[in-house]
Amino acid sequence: MSRAPSRTDRRLAFGLFLGSFALLWATEAAVGFVRDESVYFAAGEQAVRWLHYLLVAPGRAVTDAITTQAFDFNHEHPAGMKLLFGLSFQLFHQGLGLVRPAAGFRLPAFALAACIPAVLHAWGAVLYGRRAGLFAALCFLAIPRHFFHAHLACFDMPVAALWLLVVYAFWRAETDAGWWLWTGLLFGAALATKHNALFLPPVLLPFVVARALRASRGKPAARALLQQGLLVVCAAAALLGLLVLVLTPEGFVRSWNLLSPATAVVALLAAALCTLGLRLSRADAATFRAVAPLGAMALLGPAGLYAVWPWLWYHPVDRFAAYLAFHATHVHYAWTYLGTVLREPPFPLTYVLVVTALTLPVSLLAPMGVGLLSLGLRALAGLRSASRSRLGAPASASEVLVGFNALASIVLISFPDVPHFGGVKHWLPSMPFLALLAGRQVQLAGDALAAFLAQRVPRLPRAAVTPVLGALLLLPAATLTAHLHPYGTSAYGELAGGVPGAASLGMQRQYWSNNVTGVLGWVNAHAPQGARVWLHEVVSFRDYQRNGMLRADLQPAGGPADADVAVVQYHQEFREQEVAVWQAFGTNRPVTGLYIDETPQVVVYQRR
Amino acid sequence: MVALLALGFQAWLPSVLPQDADERAVAEVLAREAQAGDVVLLHPWWTERARLFLPEGLSVTAYLGDEGDALVEHPRIWVLSQPALPRTPADAFARGFLPGRTPLGPDRRFGPLVLRLYRNGRARPVRFVASEALPTASAAVELPGGGRVECLREGAGFRCPGGARVEASWHEVLYRPSRCLFVIPPGGPGAVDVTFEAVPSSAAVRLEAAIVWEHAWKHGSHLTPLHAEVADADTGAGLASVTVPPGREGFVAAEAPGGTRRLRLRVQSDNAHEREACILLRALDAEKAAAP
Repeated sequence: MSRAPSRTDRRLAFGLFLGSFALLWATEAAVGFVRDESVYFAAGEQAVRWLHYLLVAPGRAVTDAITTQAFDFNHEHPAGMKLLFGLSFQLFHQGLGLVRPAAGFRLPAFALAACIPAVLHAWGAVLYGRRAGLFAALCFLAIPRHFFHAHLACFDMPVAALWLLVVYAFWRAETDAGWWLWTGLLFGAALATKHNALFLPPVLLPFVVARALRASRGKPAARALLQQGLLVVCAAAALLGLLVLVLTPEGFVRSWNLLSPATAVVALLAAALCTLGLRLSRADAATFRAVAPLGAMALLGPAGLYAVWPWLWYHPVDRFAAYLAFHATHVHYAWTYLGTVLREPPFPLTYVLVVTALTLPVSLLAPMGVGLLSLGLRALAGLRSASRSRLGAPASASEVLVGFNALASIVLISFPDVPHFGGVKHWLPSMPFLALLAGRQVQLAGDALAAFLAQRVPRLPRAAVTPVLGALLLLPAATLTAHLHPYGTSAYGELAGGVPGAASLGMQRQYWSNNVTGVLGWVNAHAPQGARVWLHEVVSFRDYQRNGMLRADLQPAGGPADADVAVVQYHQEFREQEVAVWQAFGTNRPVTGLYIDETPQVVVYQRR
Repeated sequence: MVALLALGFQAWLPSVLPQDADERAVAEVLAREAQAGDVVLLHPWWTERARLFLPEGLSVTAYLGDEGDALVEHPRIWVLSQPALPRTPADAFARGFLPGRTPLGPDRRFGPLVLRLYRNGRARPVRFVASEALPTASAAVELPGGGRVECLREGAGFRCPGGARVEASWHEVLYRPSRCLFVIPPGGPGAVDVTFEAVPSSAAVRLEAAIVWEHAWKHGSHLTPLHAEVADADTGAGLASVTVPPGREGFVAAEAPGGTRRLRLRVQSDNAHEREACILLRALDAEKAAAP
């Protein structure tokens, strides 16, 4: 049976996409430029310059020297999103003049972020019902930090969207023809966005195995082909492993080129898998649909990454190895957590759970948490008995897939050696799945409440109960988001006691420097003509000027010593820099600042 | 129920946030009643928006962990608190702050702000502060062979051979802003030493040393301990010394009987890299009940 949403739900999903996109665009202008974003703006423009050159001199543009020159800057991230940022900037700002420069870069990010509510509805409506799908869709962007990250020309929200899209395609692929191909293509796009996507295959592998075993039960021909496929993969892995042993890992990476044994092994593996896949599709369509998504991911994922990242074209192995090494050994930035500045591993095991609980609006945390707990209990109950228990129907394989992905990024980042900076953005890919589980829970609660009220208020329209309940749960989150916009990195939920409660708990006040927009108005109004302004931790001085947010006559200062005005980001680990302003300016009295609910975020000093 | 509680919280929160008029009313009281040597302690420690309004000449203390600060140089403390803010750590503050402190009046309320004056029983009369005496001090670097090279005066501080420096400046030590002697030792067995003349007679000489900012946290075999010692400059007799090992955050303190007229401070670390020191050297009298 197809898992396609109904026509009405497809329309609703499209409406959610359009509405989300429009909302993000409409609220974009207030959002400051986070540190990384300015780097991606520059990388996007550089990528577009290379595309121009590709049109003018294609033969030269694709040479090793030119591709390296064009894409070496910020090569710690794949080029996929940066190409989109640059193209959008070129088209919508430079070409059509429709938007300011920053919005030009950000439009592709809005589009991907807007896919999340759309997919959540399309998936939730089929899996749990329309009301569950709608609540899941609306609750995702109602969360202050999600709403903030959805505005940025960065990779965290795009990779969360692509993670969701890959898993959705994977889910559809079990029943719907052609979706295995989409799984592979979307995985390629995810790999070309951010390295989080590398963890998708291990997350999906257990489901592929379970599906394959289930689908091929009682089908000897299909089983035989699966066994052959497994044998081929094992043989290839053994050969590659042997090469690593003989050559050492460094030698293996160094020696891998177009005509090396490793290339031959990989090419033979790809050819064998394609052949076996073709035979399997003829032998048994259900078994093919079970394993084809993983095969497509294995083949199309790396191909997609390679195709859109010219930096890899002439040095695919050693540069990919360097890319992995960069993230495997990423520096640990200081991060404040419960009154302690964390600077190096091991980090607290409960960090991710605590931060998630403290940053989510409690009215959404509750259905997410209950939904996940309920799923876990129903999955456990299902292992004992396939029949319905007091907890409800046993969790289906589809629900376990949702639950697995809801936990995957949270568990991954919880490892004590994994870098823990960056607020919630590193485990964003988990959040859409938690939203789905919240949708189910709210729909169940709505049904139960409707049944309860029906006995007492017979005239009450039952259909209105869940929407009212959902709206009531969404309202505090939406209110909080509206109150804190555009300062999403400072957002804390009611469980923390809001922003001031989190300050007393000793949580990270903010990060990424975008909150500086809160004082740019004062700087524009009060800084003397041609003043030297030190925007502490801000690398976007020129971008603020380019977008008309900072006066063009102001000059960037390198530090308090040569500044007339100092704008200090309030971070626990940066107090020395604020004190350096006291020393340089001869005063510890700020002239203004951004104080959210009394908490200092950005503090401004003026030389006397 | 959860949604209603959440909405209730959001509706309530603005009512416990002070308005500018509240802050100005506090500032007017302090401008009128504060005495020389008083300090304002903010509670919770992060409520620094008050700095925008408080009188310029009045000291303000606000940093993570400040409730345990003895504030020795301040006989009276004005605690400006916001007890109604969510998760205000009232008990922890009381445990750290109240011992040795006596209220000198009732709470005064200005909207959600509460102002109360305390006598600081941990205060000690301060006879000498090295960072303030630097303009009349001299500095030199000890050479490994035993010789000395005088440092050149630069502004209010000294620039010395081997990259060593001495100046009076503000720095952060475990989140605490401190105006101190900022000393970069020359590295190797040599040391920078600073001689202070005409130190007033006192009950004790107190030496506190720390590595500034995030450098204090850093550890590893390439970093070496910082040694600071204070001696009688005339006889060479050691009075107090401290060692700050790599990874030690916050001040390390030692105290010795006072009475010496000339003091020599010596600061050394085998490897000067990231051993930038903040030194508090003071001559203090014994604790006594300060007059209100």
